[in-house]
Amino acid sequence: MSAAVTSDHGAEHDHHHHDPGFVRKYIFSTDHKIIGIQYGITALLFLLFGFFLMMVMRWSIAYPHVPLPGWLSMFFSDGWKAQWLQDGKVTGETYNMFGAMHGTIMVFLGVVPLGFGAFGNYVTPLQIGAPDMAFPRLNMMSYWIYLAGGLVMCLSFFTDSGAAKSGWTNYSPLSSFADSQFVNQLFTGQTLWLIGLVLLITSSLLGSVNFITTIINLRAKGMTWMRMPFFCWAMLVTAFLLLLAFPPLEVAGLMQLMDRMVGSSFFLPTGLYNKDYGVVDVSGGGSPLLFQHLFWFLGHPEVYVLLLPGIACVAEIIPANTRKPLWGYKPMVYSVIILGFLSFIVWAHHMYLTGMGPVISTFFQTTTVLISIPSVILLTSMIISLWGGSIRFTVPMMWALAFLPMFGIGGLTGLPLAFNLADMHLHDSYYVIGHFHYVVAPGILFGLFAGIYFWYPKMFGRQMNKFLGHLHFWPSLVLINLLFFPMLIQGMAGFHRRWYNGGDAYVAKEADSTNVFAQTVLQHIDLNVLMSWSAFLLALAQLPFIINLFTAWFAGKRVKNDNPWDATTLEWSTPTPPGHGNFLTEPSAYRGPYEYSRPDYPETDFVPQWLEPKHKDAKPEVVEQTVEADDSARQSVEP
Amino acid sequence: MSNILDEIPYIVTPRKDTGLFNSKIAIWLFLASEVMLFGGLFSGYIFLRIYADYPWPERALPITPGFINTFILIGSSVTVVFAWAALKMRQWRQFQIYMAITLVCAAAFMVLKGFEYSAKFAHHAVRLTDSWAVAEGHFHKGEDTQAAGGPGGEGSTPNVINFSVTGVTVDLGKYHEPYIEDLLEQSGDVSLVLTQDSLKLLETTLRREKALEEESDDDRVEFLQAAIADPKLSTDLLDDAQEMYLDFRSSNAKLRTDALRAAWEKVRRNGSSSTELNSRELAGDVKIDSAALDPHLRREVSSLTFEAAKPFKVQLSPNAVREGADKSVLLDGTVLDGELLSSPFVLAVDTLDFRHTAMKAEERQQDPMDVIENSWLITEHPEIKKVWDAHKVEVEELRQELIEKHGVDKKTGAPNRVPNENDLYRVTWQEMVTTLGEEETKPGVFAGFTGPSHSKYTFPVISVPRERVAFESNLTPKWNTYYAIYFLITGLHGLHVIGGAVVLGYYLFCGRKMYETNPEWLANRVEVGGLFWHFVDLVWIFLFPIMYLM
Repeated sequence: MSAAVTSDHGAEHDHHHHDPGFVRKYIFSTDHKIIGIQYGITALLFLLFGFFLMMVMRWSIAYPHVPLPGWLSMFFSDGWKAQWLQDGKVTGETYNMFGAMHGTIMVFLGVVPLGFGAFGNYVTPLQIGAPDMAFPRLNMMSYWIYLAGGLVMCLSFFTDSGAAKSGWTNYSPLSSFADSQFVNQLFTGQTLWLIGLVLLITSSLLGSVNFITTIINLRAKGMTWMRMPFFCWAMLVTAFLLLLAFPPLEVAGLMQLMDRMVGSSFFLPTGLYNKDYGVVDVSGGGSPLLFQHLFWFLGHPEVYVLLLPGIACVAEIIPANTRKPLWGYKPMVYSVIILGFLSFIVWAHHMYLTGMGPVISTFFQTTTVLISIPSVILLTSMIISLWGGSIRFTVPMMWALAFLPMFGIGGLTGLPLAFNLADMHLHDSYYVIGHFHYVVAPGILFGLFAGIYFWYPKMFGRQMNKFLGHLHFWPSLVLINLLFFPMLIQGMAGFHRRWYNGGDAYVAKEADSTNVFAQTVLQHIDLNVLMSWSAFLLALAQLPFIINLFTAWFAGKRVKNDNPWDATTLEWSTPTPPGHGNFLTEPSAYRGPYEYSRPDYPETDFVPQWLEPKHKDAKPEVVEQTVEADDSARQSVEP
Repeated sequence: MSNILDEIPYIVTPRKDTGLFNSKIAIWLFLASEVMLFGGLFSGYIFLRIYADYPWPERALPITPGFINTFILIGSSVTVVFAWAALKMRQWRQFQIYMAITLVCAAAFMVLKGFEYSAKFAHHAVRLTDSWAVAEGHFHKGEDTQAAGGPGGEGSTPNVINFSVTGVTVDLGKYHEPYIEDLLEQSGDVSLVLTQDSLKLLETTLRREKALEEESDDDRVEFLQAAIADPKLSTDLLDDAQEMYLDFRSSNAKLRTDALRAAWEKVRRNGSSSTELNSRELAGDVKIDSAALDPHLRREVSSLTFEAAKPFKVQLSPNAVREGADKSVLLDGTVLDGELLSSPFVLAVDTLDFRHTAMKAEERQQDPMDVIENSWLITEHPEIKKVWDAHKVEVEELRQELIEKHGVDKKTGAPNRVPNENDLYRVTWQEMVTTLGEEETKPGVFAGFTGPSHSKYTFPVISVPRERVAFESNLTPKWNTYYAIYFLITGLHGLHVIGGAVVLGYYLFCGRKMYETNPEWLANRVEVGGLFWHFVDLVWIFLFPIMYLM
């Protein structure tokens, strides 16, 4: 946090004239805007770290026989390299460690905190016209608990056991035994992972309670449910998902902690055999499947927790840059609610190969296919929103536009996985990796990048550089496709997702009747090099963004007014950056969130929510009206 | 930051359209997530119980304390409402009284819970290898046990592995210092010195280190010389040896990495056919030039072996050791050579459980009674046999009683009700004390409040050789999944009770100031705390029948 945040513009409007001091204001701040920025920066750093882990893995996949190059291994100490690398090459164990932590960091410490923590915190209260979150101190606690959880997980790299190595899903019994050769179980990677997870869950629970309360109770005058920007709806649903889906994972985490620390057998079946110990000295009687159910009960809603903030950002950016209302606002709202409901009853489609039986598989196959309907409505509405618009190709809009087809590919490649017959072939292959990375990386992350470029002027009062923005966008778009598309091809050919040497073991031997798979591997193995170099260059392509993010803070072009994009939602009516308490006067919403190009306002192409109507007798509905009342009546208040 | 709270609306008064103040929404949301938390736990319970492949313990817990706790919690839920109502009516004194009663109830609940827990921790169970028979009881530490080779006297650790040590091999990569210290302490005046092989290894290392000339490390040379001169096992020696090992490993790894990089560089320069680097095709040609590299490498000593001047006896914790007849491996990789001594598991048996035996016998289509009566527990222990014979008589009496009470089926002549598995195959401590003549009639509910009392009654003592122990544990999460889920759910519930009591206690003891300035806000807080308290009560209402009665 730097002095740039206290641009004099914001301080001028700080009508309370109290100075809480630097530490209170920027470090242990209770202001939702500072907390949002803290979340954002922390999450971006974690994303960078997760990306680095992935580059090490991709080196091993492309060049399993070559030592890590200096530019990748320079971050490790000599002792660490001696323990975890073999002659400078990545070992299977190290690859597993990096793989598990890459997934964990990207999902729990990177994307969710960026989407929900950063954007949710910064934008939601502004958009609904609230002075802050309902519980500012709880908000601060959420951030610090999140940071503590993240650090606990990452510090486990420095323990004797290294970090967790059992995949981000941490399936038992593998993870129940991981690192069991260490005397002090508390300081092993797997245990610290679980403790970190419990902290992260606590943080999200506090956060989601806060978000929902804020949205329900702190909406400004006239901000009825159906005048709420789609962004807030998406955040509301996300918060509900976090609130209700995380506790079962907490249960799973606590059970696994007990299995590790006090020797219980929640997830350990009778007669379990381990190559190091023989028949394991536990009571048995537990079920590994129980862990998977509890894990995926969170795991699937978690996908939508990742996705919705991304969609939310894009849904705000598209109307502002096409200068026309969001097409199908109401269907989108209903879709996102239905999506939220359905996401709780699809979890076992991750478990088709566990032998749950055809009846259960069929049920989950059906619900999984059903959930594609609201998703398609969301995406289609946004694509139709482009139709006939006079599109401004601003940097955020470029990212938002790229989001649409990229997320489309991600979504459509998911369909074969939903069917349990097709999934038998594709399960655990690179196809799955390709599918969810298309959803998360060029999908969600592009949406979040769009969000950063879009709200940056509001956060810091300065524009990000346009040239650097394009320099960030175009290489990222090309490289990310070169990185992920070949995964789909390899996956359909049968490449397994956990090959640490990229399939090299198959081609090291002659392709003969004992090694029939070698022919297939040989056909596709060269794609590894293409993908890996795309990944390395993709890292390079993020440099303009990093430079842009920090230089624009003090050197960017100052925004001309409080509403640089001529947008309609309430956050653009605040001072820039917004001061303490956000609004200068009590905000009111007089109309829906996307009133662009209204023929009855010929002098401008947008009518912001806060603009008082022409007719003097038209008043903002007071919040006392019932929520359920038909909102169509409200929208016709203005002539 | 202090005035932001002034700006946030609906902290004290409810918003009109939602009818709720902020914290009330928040607590309902929080409770929704709590429902999911306990929902997950109860689902876990159902899952574990349905898929259990062992006889699920039914009514295994003492009901009385749980039953009392139920009413304590219900009572406290009522008083917390009275406390809130008093606050609404601005009657501070009454609020104090009711809130204090609530907190006393919470404390009483936790105390009873504590009794239950400690009874479980003291209660051990052992499953035998020959018949899946389970004997439960307390560790016996009398002098007769000592004579039998077991641990002796009060205060000694009752469950140990006895091992006679002749040699120790320490894994320098990961040894755990407290283990070594414990070993040194138990070795007394028997000294442990490096074996000839280990000494030779150190000498080679020393020669190599000196041969490295300008690269040689003086500290290491000094250490090696000292170690060779005085090869006695000590933590200082291991400390330095470990440091040396890690240091040498790092520097060797660095050299090998550089050598491999150089090898690749060479192949790439020579491979004119393709300009791009194809790791896969070239891999076969890339070799580290070992002959050239070797003189630069340090000699890594990854483990040291010490031998004892004469064998000495150690006692090891069963959790820290994997024992074999002539070798035991500690968790940290330390290998003990020697001989496993008799390490019996001495138990004053208060409960016998043959349900698992019966289940396994039926799976093999054997007669359960046959298997039970031929088990080691019964054939070798006359006192246990006496108990079992008395139990059989009692089962017969019960069978007759059931027939008298419920009659027989008119068509088939089969009894309508028969004794269940618990009645048939489980001998409770109450039965034991009557059979063994400790009591005339079966003890009442308060006689063994949280379980059998070993100070009041004398139970038969058995000594189980270690090799007959299939699995042993006290009645903690380790014993089986039932106790695991019992401790997890009741433990989390207990934490909720403590958390709730802390919050309510804060309102009671620190609420006066707020009461004077903004009593309505305090009332809101107490209302929210009370809602949480009701939830905690509700969880117990589900928990009690599921864990104690079913």
